Amino acid sequence: MIMVSILLIAFVGAGGTCLVGRGNPRFRGLVASLVAFLPLIILAFLYGRVISIDYASVPFLDIGLSLRLTPLSWFFGIAIAALGGLAIVFSISYMQGKERLNYYYSMMLLVNASMLGIVLSGDFLSFYIFWEIMSWSTYLLISYRGKQALGAGLKYIIMSIIGSSAMLLAIGSLYISYGTLEIPSLATALQGASAWYALFVLLMFTIAFGIKNAILPLHTWLPDAHSEAVSPFSAILSGILVRMGLYGLFLLMFSVLGLNTLNRLSYGAISFNLVLSWVGALTILFPIFIAVLQDDAKRLIAWSSIGHGGYMILGIGVATTLGIAGGLFHALNYAICVALLFLAVGAVEYRTGTRDLNKLGGLMKRMPITFTGALIGSMGLIGIPLTNGFISKWLIYKTLILSRYPFLAFAALIGTWGTVLYGYKLVHNVFLGQLPEQYKEIEEVPWTMRVPMIVLSGFVVLFGVLPGIPLKAISVIQTHLGMTRLETSLFGMPKAIGELNTLNIFFALLVAGLIAYAAFSASRRSRRVSQYDNYAAGARVPVGGYQHSVRFYDQADRIIRPYLRDRIDDFYGWIATQSTAFFEQLRKIYTGNINTYATWIVLFVAVLIFMGLLGWRI
Amino acid sequence: MVAPLLIAIPFLAAFAVPLFSLISKRISYYIPALALFANLVISLVLIPRVMSETIVVSIGGFPPPFCINLVVGPVGLLLAIIISLIGLLVSIYGVNYIKEGPKDKYHMLLLALLAGATGMVLTGDIFNLFVFFEILSLASYALTAYNRDRAGTEAAIKYLIQGSIGSAFILIGIAFLYGMFGTLSMADIASKVGGADPGFLFVSLALLITGFGIEAAIFPLNAWLPDAHSSAPSSVSAILSGIAIETGAYAVARILYTVFDSDGIMLLIAVVGLITLLIGEMSAFRQREDIKRLLAYSSIGQMGLILFAFGIATRAGVFAALFQLLNHMLAKSLLFLAVGYMIYRVGSKKLSAFSGLGKRMPVSSFVATIAVFSLVGLPPFAGFMSKFSVVRAALALKDPMFLWFVVLMLIATVIEAGYFFRIIQNLFFKSGNSLEEVKEAPLSCLVPISVLAALILIIGVYPQLVSGILDAAAQGLVERTAYIQYVLGVP
Repeated sequence: MIMVSILLIAFVGAGGTCLVGRGNPRFRGLVASLVAFLPLIILAFLYGRVISIDYASVPFLDIGLSLRLTPLSWFFGIAIAALGGLAIVFSISYMQGKERLNYYYSMMLLVNASMLGIVLSGDFLSFYIFWEIMSWSTYLLISYRGKQALGAGLKYIIMSIIGSSAMLLAIGSLYISYGTLEIPSLATALQGASAWYALFVLLMFTIAFGIKNAILPLHTWLPDAHSEAVSPFSAILSGILVRMGLYGLFLLMFSVLGLNTLNRLSYGAISFNLVLSWVGALTILFPIFIAVLQDDAKRLIAWSSIGHGGYMILGIGVATTLGIAGGLFHALNYAICVALLFLAVGAVEYRTGTRDLNKLGGLMKRMPITFTGALIGSMGLIGIPLTNGFISKWLIYKTLILSRYPFLAFAALIGTWGTVLYGYKLVHNVFLGQLPEQYKEIEEVPWTMRVPMIVLSGFVVLFGVLPGIPLKAISVIQTHLGMTRLETSLFGMPKAIGELNTLNIFFALLVAGLIAYAAFSASRRSRRVSQYDNYAAGARVPVGGYQHSVRFYDQADRIIRPYLRDRIDDFYGWIATQSTAFFEQLRKIYTGNINTYATWIVLFVAVLIFMGLLGWRI
Repeated sequence: MVAPLLIAIPFLAAFAVPLFSLISKRISYYIPALALFANLVISLVLIPRVMSETIVVSIGGFPPPFCINLVVGPVGLLLAIIISLIGLLVSIYGVNYIKEGPKDKYHMLLLALLAGATGMVLTGDIFNLFVFFEILSLASYALTAYNRDRAGTEAAIKYLIQGSIGSAFILIGIAFLYGMFGTLSMADIASKVGGADPGFLFVSLALLITGFGIEAAIFPLNAWLPDAHSSAPSSVSAILSGIAIETGAYAVARILYTVFDSDGIMLLIAVVGLITLLIGEMSAFRQREDIKRLLAYSSIGQMGLILFAFGIATRAGVFAALFQLLNHMLAKSLLFLAVGYMIYRVGSKKLSAFSGLGKRMPVSSFVATIAVFSLVGLPPFAGFMSKFSVVRAALALKDPMFLWFVVLMLIATVIEAGYFFRIIQNLFFKSGNSLEEVKEAPLSCLVPISVLAALILIIGVYPQLVSGILDAAAQGLVERTAYIQYVLGVP
């Protein structure tokens, strides 16, 4: 019952918020937050439990629909509910005064509800139903801003429907072959499947999940959609919604097919997992450097989202205990960091009205909390020690090195280098340097926007210092799936797997910090000078006429840009144009001339009768 | 003996309309709604009886096969229910929507059309099928030209010419059958088909399929449809797209499954259906101007899908086809009704004129969105369940060719999504036109479309509501021996 009630709260709440908003708009934000956080509270109490119930049946298909809570779904469910709730709280001020708020809040809640539905589904039909609800509600939210968002939304829903068509084919085929869609029964049934069949199912699902998780040749919807969406929704979209693809892939690979079947899918040295890992590596490499070139802050983060998805795919592609843990942990960490960044950029846009990295600068003093959030978020992405990103990246590197994949490890390392570049670009161009004249009077954002950023920053540091908390949940997942489980303590991992102790790092940094602090206090006090005092070595700086964040990384930009054109997107565009032209030609068969039409009818019957003369029988 | 009332009531009411209009014009406009409401109630009451046993009504007291008889099986009853439901909603809509022209004739023709459609699905006699089909067709030709503008007249004439060619073919086909078997009862023909000359049989089948295929919008025969459905008044388009072409599809299916046991031609039907589907969706995708034309092309596509499902030729396939048929009837009539008032309020059929209409006509736009989602086949709306049934039925054949057919079908779905989602964005997220004066549609429009939308949602969430009768209907179509036994008595 408890599972049904979670979903009921989420779905009914989504509609209810709309009604409340119609009645009294003042309570809308409050009710929406409540609806968003209630599932989180209920889920939190269900830690470590495995529940499975049937909630409905479809007699004409002769199957039941069921919900199933496993440690895996708990892990993702918590992340969904928490991020969703924070994004709703952030929206309260951010969206104030915008149009169609009832619609906005109920769609946000509907997206959250459908994602919860996806992770709690116990069979593939429910999974598909929730998946599609997520797809169309996301489409409706992406299109919300109009103008360029329309193209982005259309691109998203078309790719999404291509993916779900592939998934439908696989689900239909599974249903025909085994007569059930329950995940546990399929897991047993598929053990006996032929390798070809398993590969077919896996590939079909991978198309659907790959489009959502934006792995390399299927990523093209993401940059447009993420940058055109409203910022709080971008946080959800980039943080957790795209990771539904990862969840699905993980579910299929390890919960349904299992390692044994996966190992059978190989031809000589080439196996499905190896190909997947390489796709993951390429997904890291290109998008991260494309991110470096972006001037739109949200587009930059969007490209980084694709790139970091590659790390997760790499982790679960290698499929060792350490790799799986790394992949899942990175999904969580990345969700936190990227949500934090999107919220911070949203906050900046809220105050300045722009997110163009060439026009901003120096906001550190004016918006200290936002700055701290963006800084911590970028540090988490880069993986600086004592942030959560460090641990998960470290796990992935360690996996790649231990499993002897030097090239993959190299790709992952280069990806981190790119992350440093764009992370610095983002923080610098928005918050450091000279404050443009028109932003002199800007204030920090209201508290409902600050709180989510503070909470997320807190988690970046918390999971960086105490990685044992999430890693424990991950090891429960591994135990549940019958894999070797990752041994962890609160501060890291024992020597046997590869020593990691964040406590030591913490104290080392603390001591280093203290020494630095002591050194600075002992030396002569620095003198505060006006920015214009020494900035240009004595030359007069034209006030307001100088924007030093313009064309950041210009040199590097010129060198790498030619290699980083998104030709895949061009290719899809070309296909779209060509088929539209073809459709246009085809449409001309309806000439409008009645003589032609009559001829067709007579020809049709003539051909049929002729076939009958040739001996075709009914 | 209530079953003949289903046909008699709309017929009598049709003639009552001009009579009553002598007394009071206003009253006569409500007659269709009353008649169809009575029909709906009667057909709903019949459900329990029909589910246990097919009702065979002999007219004139002679036992079958010597008389005209009505066969009220699950298929016929299911379609009769939907016809009277949609008919009822459209006639409520029509009371306010039809503002100009000879209004009493509109209501009369509408009733005649619906009587013809009900007759087609309930009759057990092949000549009677033709007669009812003619009634339906004649009423459709006249209603298409109701607006009395150039486009309407042209479309109606084209429709008339093509429809007449079709009727001629049907008549010749029936003549062949009568010549061979000396009977016109479908059950009697069905029982004798086995011993006949296969060459003649094939020719008569070809003629019948072509004739009814014109109404069912099979690919090379459907060129009348985009013109007729887009030029007719929207309430008529709703009937044409939501009832008329479906009864054509029913006639094709009845002939294929019951009258002839035509396994050999089923693959052809599936392929033709698939081609119809693809061409319909592709043409609709390129239709960027006229919204009603776009919907008409989309109807062609949907009919193709239904035909494809019929071509699977298993019970599951027929189930899927009927399910898709039902969902298309609900969704497409909803769309035409909703779009009707949008066009009326905006004063243009152009898609671009609809930008931002979602704010001015929120309810109409919202329910139209539900219909669109259902047509594309998104859960939790009814269209998903039927599309999944089609996929399931096609894959259940375990034939690699049908796997590729399903792939093509899904590609068509993607194209369909492409144009429908563009419309949704146009309605809600684009701004531009000055629509200050535009008001929401009146209640006489909102109530019918909301009822349809609610049905779409309910069937989508709770498919059990209809799956029982659909399954019985599929069984009724596929199992011809049972049909023959019911009509002719135990042999």
